[in-house]
Amino acid sequence: HSVGAGLCAAGMIAIVPGYISRSVAGSYDNEGIAIFCMLFTYYLWIKSVKTGNIYWSALCAVAYFYMVSSWGGYVFLINMIPLHVLVLMICGRFSHRVYVAYCTVYTLGTLLSMQISFVGFQPVQTSEHMLALGVFGLCQIYAFVEYLRANMTPEYFNILFKSLVIIISSIIAVGLGVLTLSGKVAPWTGRFYSLLDPSYAKNNIPIIASVSEHQPTSWSSFYFDLQILTFLFPAGLYYCFSKLTDHNIFIILYGVFAVYFAGVMVRLMLVLAPVMCILSGIAVSSSLSTYMKYLDGSGSQTKAASKQGKGRQDTNSTQQREGTAYLFVVLMTFFLVTYTTHCIWVTSEAYSSPSIVLSARSHDGGRIIFDDFREAYWWLRENTPEDAKVMSWWDYGYQITAMANRTVIVDNNTWNNTHISRVGQAMASTEDKAYEIMRELDVDYVLVIFGGLTGYSSDDINKFLWMVRIGGSTPEGEHIKEKDYYTPSGEFRVDGEGSSTLLNCLMYKMCYYRFGQVYTETGKPPGYDRVRNVVIGNKDFELDVLEEAYTSEHWIVRIYKVKDLPNRGTR
Amino acid sequence: MKLSWLLNVTPALFLMAVCCSYADFVSINKDLVIKSCDRTIDLTSQLVKINHKISITNNGGSGAPRTFLFSLEGGAQDKLSYIGATQGTSEKTYLKVSEAKVQGHPGVGFWKVELRDALTKGITAVVNVEVVLGGAQEMFPAAITQKEKQLARYTGNVYVHSPYPINSQTTTITLASANIESYTKHEPVSKQDSTVKYGPYNNVAPFTVSELIVHAENNNPMLVVSNLIRVIEVSMWGNIAIEETVDVKHNGAQLKGSFSRYEYQRESSGVSSVKNFKTLLPAAAKDVYYRDDIGNISTSHMKVMDDAVELDLRPRFPLFGGWKTHYVVGYNVPSYEYLFYKGDNHVLSMRLVDHLFDDMLIENAEVRVILPEGVSDVELSTPYPVKRDKDDKHYTYLDTTGRTVIVMRSQGDLTENHIQNFDLQFKYAHRTMLLEPLLLVSAFFLLFLLSIIYVRLDFSIRVDEGAEAKMKVAGYLEKVATLQDRRNALYQSIEDAMVKFKSNKDNNSFQSALKRIGGDYKVETQAIAELLTTVKNINPELGDKVGELQRLDRVYRDLQAQQTALVEKLVSGKIVKAAYLDQENGLVKKKEETMEKINSVRAF
Repeated sequence: HSVGAGLCAAGMIAIVPGYISRSVAGSYDNEGIAIFCMLFTYYLWIKSVKTGNIYWSALCAVAYFYMVSSWGGYVFLINMIPLHVLVLMICGRFSHRVYVAYCTVYTLGTLLSMQISFVGFQPVQTSEHMLALGVFGLCQIYAFVEYLRANMTPEYFNILFKSLVIIISSIIAVGLGVLTLSGKVAPWTGRFYSLLDPSYAKNNIPIIASVSEHQPTSWSSFYFDLQILTFLFPAGLYYCFSKLTDHNIFIILYGVFAVYFAGVMVRLMLVLAPVMCILSGIAVSSSLSTYMKYLDGSGSQTKAASKQGKGRQDTNSTQQREGTAYLFVVLMTFFLVTYTTHCIWVTSEAYSSPSIVLSARSHDGGRIIFDDFREAYWWLRENTPEDAKVMSWWDYGYQITAMANRTVIVDNNTWNNTHISRVGQAMASTEDKAYEIMRELDVDYVLVIFGGLTGYSSDDINKFLWMVRIGGSTPEGEHIKEKDYYTPSGEFRVDGEGSSTLLNCLMYKMCYYRFGQVYTETGKPPGYDRVRNVVIGNKDFELDVLEEAYTSEHWIVRIYKVKDLPNRGTR
Repeated sequence: MKLSWLLNVTPALFLMAVCCSYADFVSINKDLVIKSCDRTIDLTSQLVKINHKISITNNGGSGAPRTFLFSLEGGAQDKLSYIGATQGTSEKTYLKVSEAKVQGHPGVGFWKVELRDALTKGITAVVNVEVVLGGAQEMFPAAITQKEKQLARYTGNVYVHSPYPINSQTTTITLASANIESYTKHEPVSKQDSTVKYGPYNNVAPFTVSELIVHAENNNPMLVVSNLIRVIEVSMWGNIAIEETVDVKHNGAQLKGSFSRYEYQRESSGVSSVKNFKTLLPAAAKDVYYRDDIGNISTSHMKVMDDAVELDLRPRFPLFGGWKTHYVVGYNVPSYEYLFYKGDNHVLSMRLVDHLFDDMLIENAEVRVILPEGVSDVELSTPYPVKRDKDDKHYTYLDTTGRTVIVMRSQGDLTENHIQNFDLQFKYAHRTMLLEPLLLVSAFFLLFLLSIIYVRLDFSIRVDEGAEAKMKVAGYLEKVATLQDRRNALYQSIEDAMVKFKSNKDNNSFQSALKRIGGDYKVETQAIAELLTTVKNINPELGDKVGELQRLDRVYRDLQAQQTALVEKLVSGKIVKAAYLDQENGLVKKKEETMEKINSVRAF
């Protein structure tokens, strides 16, 4: 757009919390790199569309390869570019430049991306990549048609065109149908459906819905992560529409789709943040330059006006305009300054502390550090047999693998849905049933996260309903029904009124073992859960098949050892 | 007299020769008698610290032996981690103690203690022999639940084991608590609180053994360092970095059954568990860190004291019997306290092992000393025997040949008594220190040199005609611009001359000045005209511009000539002042406009 817009956008993206959230305390995850790759690819794409140069297109393909190798979200990119081409085609802006750029990027990029083992033959098989392939075909047809049109009389051309359209579209439809039925083209995956239909996952696949990052974004989190960018975004769109060019169309498309996707999943806020910055940068710089004109050398203008003795009214209107301009500039500066402070605040509050070490303020203002996770993981690493297998909910799988160096039953990358479901069933069953499952899974230790003593709210009891849902979602777990864990009035409660199924399941027992004797808060009876703010319902029980192996200092991590089968006759 | 001395000496010499040839066997001197021996056995910690206060005398014979033998029974000998002897009470002399072999006593350990003075007949020497046994206390029962207390059992000898007859002896055993399960009743014996006293026993023959068993509560930390790696990295820039990687294990009674955090917190059970321990570092230690593989261990405190830095280390979890943990402690000390040199010869004098916690027991220790790059003639001397491995190489930033690493391994258990200095001599030329900075400097120099060469020289294969021409034209235009500047300066000097003329009314000097300036002006204009044709040949467009400049300049020149004429008229009184001012104003305005145009054209 302009250098100013670029500068504004760069300044904004440098501190936007939605993007900073991906890098905590100096370390970052691959998505942080992926966003850079994505923007770089877009930049090169726009460059190649502008120039129609094979050089830029080839570079764009290489950048796309980089992107594919870093993040699974490349699918967004490979749908975005063809969409741009398609829209250009519909707008009648399709040119040889676009043709050259797209054909080069698509062919080279696809070939390169197929070199990544994770991607393999997906670009030509899965439906997620079909748009790109389709647009590529369309490009050829369009170019061919243009060629024919240039060399034929209109009457002949029309006949040929109609027949060609009918033939080709029927061939494509039949071909796609056959391929889908024969299983060559993979069916639409759940993740993709949930992109199109936000309620899809919730209704069908509990495991996708259970991840907090896959929840639909709330308005507050839009504001929290983007602040004024949310309001500047439409203004930026306006400026883009007012000067419609090939690359502006691209930015508009990117912005609109990113907003939609970010609305579906919190995680995709990451994709939205850069385009928000770009559009806001355009908005800020365009509006500022509009008003700055009135401020530039306005002093001499007024002087000249008064000298020449022109009408008083004219002077007045100039002064009025000047005042508005001043007001606007001051207002904009104010917004930008608040944006900066907001970003700094969000970054320091929400995205700067590692989630593995928790901290709280004590009564006298001192800082208490809860280092329970590392404490327990280090205990596992040092004081359990090296081949011990640990069962926990999958959230902690990676942490246990990395810090405790022990085998886990399920982790964050477990693709086998039934396996996770089996763990969920074990947690949701009574001790006897759970013991069978644990023997079947060959579990030595069970680990649960419990926040009742400290008030750490993202513990396993609060996640328990997801375990029940996931556990009950497979045929083996049909006996586990979500409603059994609610009170008759449909509440999820762990106090005396909670359902007996809940108060006797393995998860409940592991979390609250011996907790009934602990005084947590003054003036409250023992066994007062500080997260749920209730006194627990089942206080006095013993564990039969498990024994407490370790509990961290603040009870956040509790580890149980699965007892061996008892000798015959002792039981 | 002389003869008898000779006779006496000859068998000794003969024996010595035999000793040398047959594995250094030593004989027991029958003349020596121990008058009294007070033995204290300290069982308060995990170690068994036995102190013998021996009064030894030469009862007969004319020999004056400088050494005597000290022995330990079979069980104790295997667990020995330290033995040392001193003589004198106020002024202690450390005596040399070395292992000895005596024929005919299998399973008994002998040590030869070298006395300060020779022991002639009738003289009595008082020697303190200190013995530390590691792992000599057995946990009984070997596994306890969290609520139970830890009991330890020590098995030893009621009598002092000695190759010489002992006239009188007593033994005092100090225990960790008054809660004593059982002890051997070998009269006379008495018990008071946490001490048990045996003896006095009179006239005990050499090598008398009678089993002694003491079984009592001992909840003191039974921490054993199963593996210690101590890395000392010496920098010639004034710093020594020390890092200790410690594998520590609770060797007390194993934890039986479950661990209950509730009981541990509320009922203060688990008395034998270890929550924290203190490590003493050298007083100069700074930049201390305490961490493990998964990051900083956030539970530790440091206290700087006069003679040491005290670290209060708390492992991530309390250590119960059989539990272990692993951590790293590191710090820096300035090298002037430990590294001494004269010329190129250096001596590093540091502790072989350092304090980890009180009453520590180290099973395996590996000490690695990383010397700077380029040392030679390394010589090591240690206070007690260690196994020296083959020298290693260590590479860090900017190393080329690698740093020499001296690797030492402990033999047997180490205790606090082993905190002693080793000396490491080596040769190091100080100018070698400059190697690494020079390396950096030359690397950067090369980089800059290459970039200078790349930027300054033209590496393109074909000659770009257009660019050449452009550069040429640009050069000419620059010349034109300078010439124009000169012309402007000339105009200015005409202005000055006019002002001067108006005030002094000296027509002659004014005319001559005009003439001189006019001459200069012609030269410049001629030069520009020449350049104009050249530029026009190369680039007609720019040539036109130069032509335009010339035209404008001519206009300006004319305007100035008019002004000059006007001034002349004024001075000669041919025109009234008012009319002059009016006309001049118009001229000046026109001149300004023209100059503006000239300047805009001049910029090309």
